[in-house]
Parts: sequence; C-alpha cells; structure tokens
Amino acid sequence: MSATPDILEICGATVPDRLHDLALRLPRGQMVGLVGPNGSGKSTLLQVAAGLLPARGVVRWDGRAVGSIPVVERGRMTTWVPQEAQFEFGFSVRAVVAQGRFAHGDDDAGVDEALARFDLTTLAERPVNHLSGGERHRVLLARALATQAPLQLWDEPLAPLDVRHALEVLMLARELTHGRGSTVVISLHDLRVAHCLDAIVVLQAGRLRAAGSPTEVLTPELLLDVFGVKAHNAPGLVLELP
Amino acid sequence: MIPRGAARFALPVAITVLAVFTLGALAVGDMWLSPARIWAGLWREDELAATILWQIRMPRLCVAVLVGAALSASGLIMQAYFRNSLASPGLLGVSAGGAAGAVVAIAAGWATVSLLLLPMAAIVGAVLSTGAVLILARRGASTERLLLAGIALNALLGAVTSYVLTSSVLTYERNAQILFWLLGGLEDRTWEHVAMAAPICLLAVVLWPLGRPMDLLSLGSREAQSLGVDVVRLRRVLLGLATVLTALATSVAGTVGFVGLVVPHVLRLLVGPEHRRLVPLALVGGAAFVLACDMIARSGGGLRLGIVTSLVGGPFFLWLLRRQA
Repeated sequence: MSATPDILEICGATVPDRLHDLALRLPRGQMVGLVGPNGSGKSTLLQVAAGLLPARGVVRWDGRAVGSIPVVERGRMTTWVPQEAQFEFGFSVRAVVAQGRFAHGDDDAGVDEALARFDLTTLAERPVNHLSGGERHRVLLARALATQAPLQLWDEPLAPLDVRHALEVLMLARELTHGRGSTVVISLHDLRVAHCLDAIVVLQAGRLRAAGSPTEVLTPELLLDVFGVKAHNAPGLVLELP
Repeated sequence: MIPRGAARFALPVAITVLAVFTLGALAVGDMWLSPARIWAGLWREDELAATILWQIRMPRLCVAVLVGAALSASGLIMQAYFRNSLASPGLLGVSAGGAAGAVVAIAAGWATVSLLLLPMAAIVGAVLSTGAVLILARRGASTERLLLAGIALNALLGAVTSYVLTSSVLTYERNAQILFWLLGGLEDRTWEHVAMAAPICLLAVVLWPLGRPMDLLSLGSREAQSLGVDVVRLRRVLLGLATVLTALATSVAGTVGFVGLVVPHVLRLLVGPEHRRLVPLALVGGAAFVLACDMIARSGGGLRLGIVTSLVGGPFFLWLLRRQA
C-alpha cells in the first residue's frame, strides 16, 4: 500500500454499448498510452476519467470521488483535450490558452510559457478559427498545459500534428510527468511511439485488455489478437529531436 | 475588428450613442421639442412638453430601451449556448412562442383580467418554444438543423396565431390588438408596459457577471466543464434568462425580429468574441438599435418597429448566410 492515493482510480466504469465494467489505477508521475482499435472506447474512457461523461461505477482523483469535488476545483485537478479542435468564434489564441486559468481565478500564470511551448507566441493574437487543424490542436494542448492540472487527459494529441510538434508534445509530456509529477494519459494509434511511454493501457471492445509497461504489454500475440497485425522488430526510420 | 486598445472605448461610445438617440427620441415627433423644452418638460415647468414627454415619449422610450436590451442579450446568450452565431430568439421561434402565448391570452380575454397575465402567457409560450428547440436541435447543432427547427416552430406557432385570429368569436378590437402583437411595435405604450418589462433590468444584472463562463461555454460545453465551469447550472441559467428576456420583450412590443441576430453580430465583428465585453455592449447596443429603428418607424408612412427591424435585419441575415457559405 502506498501512502499517497493514486491520481486516478476507476472502478467498474460502465457506459452502455461503449465501456464495460472497466477498472484502472494510475499512479502519479506516469506517462500513459491508451491504445486500442477504432471504437474500442478510448475517447469514452478519457471522458469518463475526466468526469465529463456520466457512467456507472466510481471515478476517484487523489482518492476523492469526482462527484464530491466542486466543479471549479475539478478544473484545477484534471484537464481534458478533445480529439477535434473546432471553434465557432474567433477568440485570439492567447484568449483561448488563458481560459486554462479559469479555475485559478483567471490569473494568467503560465500562459506565456504555454504559448511558447507550443510555438504559438507569434500566433498569439490571431483568431483561432483562422488557424490550420494542427495549429488549433496545439492551442488546445497549450490551454491544457496552462491549467497546470496534475492529471492531463489528451485524446489523440499526436494525430493532427506534424512530426516535429508530435515529438515536442511527447517531450513535454515527459517533462510534466517526470519533472513535475503529473500524470499524462494520451490515446494514440501509432504504436511506434509506445517506447516513449511509462505504461500502456490496451482497450478492446470497451473492456480493459491489458495494462503495464510497453514491453510487457505490446507482445506480438496481443498485437495480433487485438489489432490483427503481425509485429516485426525490423529496423526502421527513427526520429528524435535534435 | 477594431484594434484591441480601441475596443475598451466601445462601451463609452455605445453609451454616448444611446444617450444621443435618447435625446433624439424625446425631441422628435409630431411636435419638435428643443433640448431646453425637454428639460423644462421633465421638471413639469412646461405643461405641454411635460404631457408629451411623461405620457407619450418617455414610456415609449423606456419600453424601446428595455426591449432592445432584452432581445439583443437574448440573441447573444443563444449564440453562446448553441455555439452558433446564427442562433437568435426570432429565428429559433422563441419570439413566436411568446407572441402565440400573448395572442392566446388576448383572445381568451385574460389580458383584460390582469395586466400581469399577458407577460406570463408570453413567458409560457416562449418556454414551450425553447423546450421544442432544445429537443429539435441539440447543443452544437449545425446551422442547418437550428434553422430548420426554427422554420418548423415558426410555421407551427404562426398557424396557432392565425387560427386564433380567424376564429369568429373574436371582436374587432381584439383582432386589432392581436395584429399589433404580430407586427411588433411601440405605439401607445404606457408606464404599465414599462412596469411589465422592468424585470429585464434585473435579468441584465444576473447576466452581467456570466460573461467569462460564457466565453468557455461558447467554445464547447465539455471543454468548459473540464476547465472548471459548472456547465449544467450555467446552461440552465442562460437558457432561462434568454427565454424570459424574449418573452418579456415580446409581451410589451410584440414580435420584433432580428435584433438578437444583428446587434450581437455587429458587436462581435467590432470588438471580438469575448463576452465580458459583449454582455454590457449588447445591452446598450440593443437598446440603441431599437431606439433608432423606432425613430424611423415614428417618422410615419405606416412603418412599425417590427417592420423596420426586419427591413434592416433581413438583408443582413442573407449577407451573413452568404458569408458563412
């Protein structure tokens, strides 16, 4: 038994047709990859974990049932980044990132840093609805960073990004987890980045299939069973930041 | 959009414009009143001016200001709520619901029993319409879905009102009264009407501090909740405000279209989408817009407020649709 409770604990989470009796515990300071085929329940699980989607079962942050935490405080503890970045109104990039400070009384702390981390400083005054899809997504991630929430739940943050920004997001997630003790959960499809992560959670048809370190979990047998692909350890293109 | 630095002058400018229009509305009419006579009239030192001001122009002015502020704020709220800049009480059928409620109340003779029954019937009608819109078009619904829901509701409520109008039991006076509601206008408004619409001030006070959470809501309700906004409560409050504001405005001025569409839109183009700035501006700007339209309506030629706002708003709406496409 550890002295501090897990940052995220899910017991028996069930959402009809999407998640079935799912249990999961994540400790502090981990970078967790959530993988599974399309429709396996990754986005649903992230929203349940974020306390945004009603589900049967219990979700606890830091040992506290989410339903018992006041909404403003929830905004300081956890943040969720959606898969799609759509904006109807033309808020400036800075204004959207500054929304990350809403639960902190709009104090603007860390907004400039978040903009810089996602290469958005020069775009700061541009309206978000005029940006490209990848840029809009970086705005959402910067807003999540600005919240300084210890539990970060990002739904497919890498998919819309170019290779450099994708690597930077992984670097940032590592810094948040290993440097600041946050836990970052990332849903993803590209298993080639799995080696960057501390833990992998595999979903299959709304159920937890496996969880553990990438080498433990991503075995050829599991990949064949869950994704229907054969895995080879052939040398390929390896990319890293200079 | 005007530069960021200049945007902070938008509210003082809007208040100045409203003040100028107010003075204009008091001065212009069948009998021109100079500023000096207005001053004397307000203090009842000039008997004729006092009668014109206190019995005719002031109540009409107050109703115009309240109606404009209410409809504009209601449009602003609906646009944030539905995350769609084309949402507004007129297009979504909420105004028509309020009007249908008022018409039924008049036809049934309730309006003569108590003056309070009229706004209450309008509120009931507007609440029913809002409920129907919520069912027909979920939050974040596409423009097409929202507009189609509005078309359907407007047609349905139009049929209700037409039936009430054509049913033979009604007297000529009641029919005239109903027609007044359908066309929307500020003729013969009295202090009683001002009193009926006065709660709009209270609702504006409730709305004022909601600007910041409205910003977050207008970019997505789940995102807003994740960032610490009590979305369930906020949505309930906003929708209640938008519905009652529209109903109160409709019960004293009939269906006045396009205010909730045009004013927030123009303001957003001028000062950007931040609601802390937009909420006060929408209240003041809506009041100024309706006051200006009513002055045009008063200039004669059989024009009425609802006709003027539609003549301005219709082409504007078509321009917006073209711009979106």
